[in-house]
Amino acid sequence: MSLLELNNISKIYGDLKALDNVSLKVDTGEWVAIMGPSGSGKSTLMNIIGCMDKPTSGEVILDGKDIAKESAKNLTAIRRDKIGLIFQQFHLVNYLTAVENVMVSQYYHSIPDEKEALEALARVGLAERARHLPSQLSGGEQQRVCIARALINYPEIVLADEPTGNLDEANENIVLDIFKQLHREGTTLIVVTHDPEVGEVAQRTITLEHGKILRDAKNPGFE
Amino acid sequence: MNKRKFFLKMITSSLMRRRSRMLVALLAIAVGATILSGLVTIYYDVPRQMGAQFRNYGANMIFVSSSGDAEFTPEAAERAVAGIDASELVGYAPYRYETVLIHEQPLVAAGTDLAGAKATSPYWYIDGAWPAADGEMLVGNERAELLGLSVGDTVTVIYSTEQDEADEAGVTAEASLDMKVCGILETGGSEEEYIYLSMEDMERLTGNEGKLDLAELSISAPGEKLQSYAERISEAVPEISARLIKRVTESESTVLTKLQALVLLVTIVVLLLTMICVATTMTAVVTERRKEIGLRKALGASDREIIGEFMGEGLLLGGIGGLIGAGLGFAFAQMVSVNVFSSSISFQFWLIPVTILVSVAVTGLACLMPVRSATEVDPALVLKGE
Ligand SMILES: Nc1ncnc2c1ncn2[C@@H]1O[C@H](COP(=O)(O)OP(=O)(O)OP(=O)(O)O)[C@@H](O)[C@H]1O
Ligand SMILES: [Mg+2]
Repeated sequence: MSLLELNNISKIYGDLKALDNVSLKVDTGEWVAIMGPSGSGKSTLMNIIGCMDKPTSGEVILDGKDIAKESAKNLTAIRRDKIGLIFQQFHLVNYLTAVENVMVSQYYHSIPDEKEALEALARVGLAERARHLPSQLSGGEQQRVCIARALINYPEIVLADEPTGNLDEANENIVLDIFKQLHREGTTLIVVTHDPEVGEVAQRTITLEHGKILRDAKNPGFE
Repeated sequence: MNKRKFFLKMITSSLMRRRSRMLVALLAIAVGATILSGLVTIYYDVPRQMGAQFRNYGANMIFVSSSGDAEFTPEAAERAVAGIDASELVGYAPYRYETVLIHEQPLVAAGTDLAGAKATSPYWYIDGAWPAADGEMLVGNERAELLGLSVGDTVTVIYSTEQDEADEAGVTAEASLDMKVCGILETGGSEEEYIYLSMEDMERLTGNEGKLDLAELSISAPGEKLQSYAERISEAVPEISARLIKRVTESESTVLTKLQALVLLVTIVVLLLTMICVATTMTAVVTERRKEIGLRKALGASDREIIGEFMGEGLLLGGIGGLIGAGLGFAFAQMVSVNVFSSSISFQFWLIPVTILVSVAVTGLACLMPVRSATEVDPALVLKGE
């Protein structure tokens, strides 16, 4: 059984089909890149997988349970327990330090544990910067805080929307190295990207166009 | 670190590190709380303050004999006065009136306790001085003009027994006393027709003692209390009928009621304004922090947690603002009191917790709408571009 299974999902805004009858399966431990031109429905798909939105029709089976018809309240609980989110704009709380930002995620999930949060920051190479405010961190560092926060509650799926979109080459490589490490540890990763380089390092690439899956292929270059 | 500690950490950091925005709200709350506690202090102190002011307008209670025109004894009056709380009794002036002659002209002489008269009638204006020794008297302005008297003159005051009594006896009993005019009395009222001398001089002149026609009292107490004093005295001392000077007491309570209503109204308006200001600020804060709210929701915050955090910030602000306001409010009330009533105010300790509670309640109420709108933020917002 797959960890995540989408069956014929559509998302319709007025007369626009942002997603048109999409079906796909993702297994535990897979690293999937979702690509496609702007407006092709990537973020819409991420929202549905990330339990932040519901499809107009179709099934979303996560961990063997159809979540497509769950209430917003239950979706919040599922998101909190199973999903880790990484954003293009990092979205750190600007008045909390790096370690406190990681602890926010623990706070909503269970209980804040500073020691664990510091360890998570150490894993992304930010042990030294834990007490800094986001404004005192570089973009790459902020993204690493965001990754540490996404991982802190051991989510079943890590979703990243353009995680390297705001980063330079060097920082992009740091983030990709972290992803590789996560993949080796068995984390399920779904990464939306425009960047072919980021797409290529994934195990499998799904290409969307006009809300439909144009291509879904294993990456030959994946080591 | 447990959840509650982290919660406090988050809301205090939010307030501390985003100072400028929160300062506006804090200022609004502090000003509101200041005016609230200040005005409430004044509200409670006004009757006391104004009561003292009103006593400048003269007596508000009189004693007369309960049996028509007859007189009553000074002893009865003393007993009646003893029933009044000493701290409230501003002045007590017993009066005895007799007809006397000066330069062959009949006029009314009033014997009184001059210090008491001064206390009950502070509005009396004396050209010259109050009598300080035996043989000195005050002459009403009108009477002085009629008689051509001025300060420093000495005249003979003649007291004769009533005419018909004298005729029967065939003689007119007469007594006289040389009195010095030490002051001319100006009141604008009927007092200007009389002369005023001490009770001792009066007794020396007339020979008979132990009779009073009237006593005037100035009591610093609210209307209901005066009424109950009057009833108690009339009952305890049957010789005496204690009456309120309605003209004075009623206008006093009307003024007080109006003043208190005004203070109350201003307080309510100020609280409303504070609420509007806090609501506006919180709405701006929520709008400003939509991204953060979306993020928190994306991280799994429930609506209740979002409400809790914003309310927590609001209530913390309310508490701090209330505390500041309670202190400043007293200073404000003190300033008003010193400037308007020229007397200091009594500090009401219970006002500290009440001010804080009201601030917290008003802030909470003001935050309701904006915080509710915070829960409507869509978590999917965080995946949208800037
Ligand atoms: N809330 C919405 N209401 C109406 N239309 C929407 C809404 N959200 C998305 N759309 C539309 O759905 C389509 C897919 O949007 P989506 O955000 O998924 O694109 P995307 O692939 O993420 O694009 P980009 O690469 O620019 O981020 C777009 O045409 C967009 O205008
Ligand atoms: Mg997008």
